[in-house]
Amino acid sequence: MKRLLYLFVLPVLMAFNDVPLTNPDLEARAQVLMDEIRCVACENEPISQSGAEIAGDMRQRVRAMVKAGESDAAIRGWFADRYGEFVLFRPQTSGASGLLLWGLPFGLLLIAALGLAFVFHQRARRRTEGGIIPVAPDGQDMSDGEDTPS
Amino acid sequence: MIEVGHMAAFLALAACLVQTWYGLRGNRAMASGMAYSALGLMSVAFGLLIWSFIVSDFSVALVTANSHTFKPLAYKIAGAWGNHEGSMALWCLVSIGFAAAGAWRLQTGRQAFEARTLGVQGAVSVGSLVYLLFASNPFLRLDPAPLQGNGLNPLLQDPGLAIHPPMLYLGYVGFSFVFALAAAGLIEGRIDKTWAQATRPFVLAAWVPLSLGIALGSYWAYYELGWGGWWFWDPVENASLMPWLLGSALLHSIIVTEKRGGFAAWTVLLAVLAFCFSILGAFLVRSGVLTSVHAFAIDPLRGSLLLAGLMAYGGAALALFAWRAPALKGGPDWQFISREGALMVNNLVFFVATVTVLLGTIFPLLAEATGRQMSVGTPYFNLTFAPIMAVLLFVLPLVQASSWGATRPEFQLIRAAVVGGAIGALVLLMLWRMTLPLGAGVGLGLGLWLIYGAGRELLRRAIVLPRVFTLPARVWGMSLAHLGIGLFVIGAVVQTSGRYEQTVALEAGQSVVVAGWSVTLDAVRSAEGPNWYADRATLIARKGSSSARLQPEKRYYPAARMPTTETAIHKTGFGDLYTALGDRRNLDGKTIWTFRVYYNPLIDLIFFGVFLMALGGVFAAFGGRKAPARVDIDEPVPVSAAPIVLGPAE
Repeated sequence: MKRLLYLFVLPVLMAFNDVPLTNPDLEARAQVLMDEIRCVACENEPISQSGAEIAGDMRQRVRAMVKAGESDAAIRGWFADRYGEFVLFRPQTSGASGLLLWGLPFGLLLIAALGLAFVFHQRARRRTEGGIIPVAPDGQDMSDGEDTPS
Repeated sequence: MIEVGHMAAFLALAACLVQTWYGLRGNRAMASGMAYSALGLMSVAFGLLIWSFIVSDFSVALVTANSHTFKPLAYKIAGAWGNHEGSMALWCLVSIGFAAAGAWRLQTGRQAFEARTLGVQGAVSVGSLVYLLFASNPFLRLDPAPLQGNGLNPLLQDPGLAIHPPMLYLGYVGFSFVFALAAAGLIEGRIDKTWAQATRPFVLAAWVPLSLGIALGSYWAYYELGWGGWWFWDPVENASLMPWLLGSALLHSIIVTEKRGGFAAWTVLLAVLAFCFSILGAFLVRSGVLTSVHAFAIDPLRGSLLLAGLMAYGGAALALFAWRAPALKGGPDWQFISREGALMVNNLVFFVATVTVLLGTIFPLLAEATGRQMSVGTPYFNLTFAPIMAVLLFVLPLVQASSWGATRPEFQLIRAAVVGGAIGALVLLMLWRMTLPLGAGVGLGLGLWLIYGAGRELLRRAIVLPRVFTLPARVWGMSLAHLGIGLFVIGAVVQTSGRYEQTVALEAGQSVVVAGWSVTLDAVRSAEGPNWYADRATLIARKGSSSARLQPEKRYYPAARMPTTETAIHKTGFGDLYTALGDRRNLDGKTIWTFRVYYNPLIDLIFFGVFLMALGGVFAAFGGRKAPARVDIDEPVPVSAAPIVLGPAE
């Protein structure tokens, strides 16, 4: 994997302002960040995809900051301060809106799981208390009824 | 001529009104007659619209705005629906067409139910036609007529895009018919096996074209936009994904209703929601409330009308649901470790995934309301949608391995645990040896798990239950579709984590190396087509003994004053070497061209996987057409569960 990365990193030093970092790990980090930052001149593209000139400058800035040892959060923060939160395709997690955006999907999944567990707990209790005979388990034929010979 | 079409559309509106009236009152014969008449009238209207595109009648405003005499004939025809007004006309035609199909094919032995279905569908058609005729009329004249038109958006001049909108509309509008079936079932108060048996083919009739339409759009974006990717989490893509997710959930829950009479209320709710999300999608796309690369026909008035329609139809349906659903009966009792339990998990996850996509799509709107400008893009969906769907994919083979009512876990689950453990170990080994990202490893494992599940199910039915030649079509359908998901997941994971991309500037004779392929620029020459001219680059790609010639183009369409990118793709067998031509620059007196060169491993599996899913859907639809005399022995057959004959009795 790493050897392949070298293959595509090394020979492209002639690319105008898109000089990849020589350290493949840092370049990989920069690539991830460039996928997460929105081009300010285009409709809906990350700077990694955009052909606009400013996107090239922004890519260069990402690489420079990665090379200077800045953390991902600091780089995202720098771009958000400069161009507004709008440029972050991966919205920040802080604040009420962040909680809603990042928490709701997983919260809903959790609620669904708890809801299921509760319903089945209740059912199981009713079944044992009310003496309702459960459906006979038929481990033998697992077919869906369509082709049940019966 | 176009006035005749205009009149025919108004007459179709009248026919749909009458259809609604008689249908809701339970008169099937009258409602069917009106549905057929409306189909005839609307076909005339749409046919005449296409005709004015074919003969380039520039006195019709729509033709002037979207066509050009130099355009190839096929794209003149496709141009009829390659714009807002024309696509709404197509929408109306499909809506009326589904009513006519229902009038022809629905044979449940319940006249009133069928009539009411046609009545509700009539009401949907009325809404669409009113919107067409009063808010986006394609039949208007232009005076004086110009000598030449403005041409079709050149991005749309492509075979994939010519059939992409009709496919999507079959899907969206198909869900409106499923909605009509659900509403009629609720009015009757009977959501049972007969209802599910009658409805399931129509769910598939919507789901299959919607899947294909999404895949076509994705494939088009891949080779036409020149960005190297196939899914961008663009609002318009999300708008089509949400009804698809709900439709997939519906497809599974309706099986429980059909086989066991269970999940009735949930199935109906999904049918209502799938339709609401189809309109919501139209609203998001057409109103321009979201920025999107696809944005077309942006008009706030149209947006508010669509929103009003969504409120009216969706609100009425949900009210009907709230009123009638509590009276619906469930099926026989079941335990959690059973096929019902596993399908319930499947449905809840589909639902949560839909909410996630919705949230990510409209969140920028919500933020704007509080005065903040925010973006939600690919990284968000990769971190939320992907793990949520992973739960679903993990459960999928377990659904197949379980039986109705209750499953003795030890039988199937132990085997599953062994295979799952083996796959898990393999994934850990890959993560350790190949420095794969964690997500990619999990994704690969899930893909293998799904393929195992699909293959295992076929093997079990073919050998353990020795019925290889009599396997019902729906078993094949299910296995094909699930195999398709497995291949899709592997393709998506490998492409996403293993692709190489490089933006380079090359002078003639220079080369670049991408994923072991050495790509050399030979020359850039001009080229010409019927209504465009282009810069065409010739690239020679070499790797070992194999070589390929790639000719990416940058086209200019003078009529539309717009450039497009024509990518060149070399299929290596394991992936695509993908090139797109960028801009020309002058540097120190030399001419250099920018290129994007990508290597996309296994990307064909993505599209092939979706194709298999759709093919599975077709098989499953035919599996519904069984000889009517079969009954399940293990429970008493209610009187209402009379056998259905789909299609004319022989």
